[in-house]
Amino acid sequence: MSININSEVALTYLIAKKKQTLVASLGVTFGISMYIFMNSLISGTNEYFEKMTLSATPHIRLYRDHQISNSDRLNHFLGKASTNLISNPKMVNSDERIDDPYTLLQALKTNPASLAVSPQITATIICSNGSLQENGNVSGVNILEQDKMFDITSTMIAGTVKDLSTDPNGIIIGSGMAENLSLKTGDNITLTTSKGSTKVLHVSGIFRTTIKNVDQTKCYANLSVVQQLLKKDRSYITDIYVNLKDYTKANRIGKQFELVTGYRVETWQSANEQSIAARMIRDMIANSVVITILIVAGFGIYNILNMMIYEKIKEIAILKATGFAGRHVVAIFIFQALFIGLLGSFTGILLGWLLSKTGSMIYIGKGNLEYLPVSFYAKHYIQGALFGIITSFFAGYVPALRASHVDPVEIIRG
Amino acid sequence: MALQANHINKYFYAPDKFQALKDISFEVKKGEFVSIVGKSGCGKSTLLYILSTMDTAYDGSVQLAGENITGKKQDALAAFRNAHLGFVFQFHYLLPDFSCLKNVMIPALRLGKLSRAQIEEQAYEKLTLLGVGHQALKTASRISGGQQQRVAIARALINNPDIVMGDEPTGNLDTRNTAIVFDMLQQLCREQQKTVITVTHDNDFAAKSDRIIEMSDGVIVNQHTR
Ligand SMILES: Nc1ncnc2c1ncn2[C@@H]1O[C@H](COP(=O)(O)OP(=O)(O)OP(=O)(O)O)[C@@H](O)[C@H]1O
Ligand SMILES: [Mg+2]
Repeated sequence: MSININSEVALTYLIAKKKQTLVASLGVTFGISMYIFMNSLISGTNEYFEKMTLSATPHIRLYRDHQISNSDRLNHFLGKASTNLISNPKMVNSDERIDDPYTLLQALKTNPASLAVSPQITATIICSNGSLQENGNVSGVNILEQDKMFDITSTMIAGTVKDLSTDPNGIIIGSGMAENLSLKTGDNITLTTSKGSTKVLHVSGIFRTTIKNVDQTKCYANLSVVQQLLKKDRSYITDIYVNLKDYTKANRIGKQFELVTGYRVETWQSANEQSIAARMIRDMIANSVVITILIVAGFGIYNILNMMIYEKIKEIAILKATGFAGRHVVAIFIFQALFIGLLGSFTGILLGWLLSKTGSMIYIGKGNLEYLPVSFYAKHYIQGALFGIITSFFAGYVPALRASHVDPVEIIRG
Repeated sequence: MALQANHINKYFYAPDKFQALKDISFEVKKGEFVSIVGKSGCGKSTLLYILSTMDTAYDGSVQLAGENITGKKQDALAAFRNAHLGFVFQFHYLLPDFSCLKNVMIPALRLGKLSRAQIEEQAYEKLTLLGVGHQALKTASRISGGQQQRVAIARALINNPDIVMGDEPTGNLDTRNTAIVFDMLQQLCREQQKTVITVTHDNDFAAKSDRIIEMSDGVIVNQHTR
């Protein structure tokens, strides 16, 4: 009952001052819609870049690091009788292989956190077709595992990844390379390494990532082909790529892998620190814009309620004279603030969605980005509405408190 | 005893220190109808604001309906006014955004003892008795001064208060309506043992009441019981 009369008075005032109510809630509307749009755009952008990053970088890369020569061996043979130092130590030339890779691969595959595991070797090569030549590099991979990781299938413009897996002497090349060497599927291509070994392969497929450098240089072949090119044995593997079920845990799980296997781990975050930095900057820009807008909206509500209280001071005095306590007066004005906040949040959600929808239709058309990347998450809309209501509450609380301190006799005496 | 005022002194400090009430003491019995008269500026309204618990800045003490109200907290006083006091201001002071009916209903809705329908019925009844029933649904800012005053009287009576105070409640009314209001208040005293204290400039009105308290320059100079 008592809540009813407070809200009834509040509503009457809101209706009596339709224009001010509307202006105040419009402030909230803009604040909330900007909050939603900015967050949707930023998260859409982040997701886009993350997807781009993860389409070229595995969540975790395991490899053997070069080691600097140390005195372990000397100590072993000469004993502790002398102090053994190596002057001007250099990096040791090792062949970077992972020892017993198939046991390690099996272990990684059965790890519950991993989704796909793909062994790798790469070789720098010259690709040629008749007199045409192009520099490139070939990755020896298990193409089906690699496809699970990077979704190569979605970039294929000719042939399929299956064609490579069934043809031991197949190769998948980029569209740039195919163009430069005038190649199509089924044609032969000659690969030559710097050490002089040569292999003739058939083009099983052509992909296009829209990243020029990749399309002009990257090739995929079967592991054994690259092992032969490098004149290595069948267990020669230099890198193991692991994709996780939850890529955000890469750093933590990577650490574990490093400890357990003894090999170096590079996570996608550490391989792309600049893009992580860019993401942080984007977040910061968005947050500062959004906070500014919400503060402005808050001041709008504060101002209008303050004005309303100034105009209604006589009536507040009458209400108090006829039995309204301070808390009732606070309730009346908080109700107004919350009403404004709710109205503004509701319209803000609609406008925010509309802005996001419109934004997502803006054509960009650069690289493989067609439209402005905007995400649609209920989370952002709920957060926006909550922020709007909370801001309104605090913006209304200060003037409401002031109103509750009105001394009726001061006003009524005139 | 309905009201007891003990040694009330009231000072105003702006623009200069000025004593508006000087050692005022008096009592009002339950069921009594008291009129306070005196020249303009003698302190009648000032006294009434203190008695009605709205003004708390004074020396001395006041008891209303057996309760000592001096020194109580603002919110407690608001609740006390709501339940026990009806007040008609010198300048009627309705809420202009609400209908006359709503103006009358609000203190009762605040009290929350009766259902909305009952409150509405009683409010309408009071307005009709005071001859403004046909104005009930009009916005309070769109009726005449005399009508506003009668709506204000209806509002003061809606919670069936023990004590009704009025600062010239009939100041804007013609003789016929003044008589209606007087009869209504007198009836409350006679039949329901309510207490009425009004400030008035109307000598006939004062003469008909049970007791007249005459003030001059902040002191009670004369009291006569009829
Ligand atoms: N807020 C105030 N500040 C200073 N002095 C005041 C204030 N209110 C009233 N006074 C003074 O106190 C005295 C009593 O005023 P009060 O309003 O009680 O007179 P009143 O008897 O009600 O007069 P009236 O019949 O004209 O309504 C007056 O001299 C007035 O000037
Ligand atoms: Mg007066």
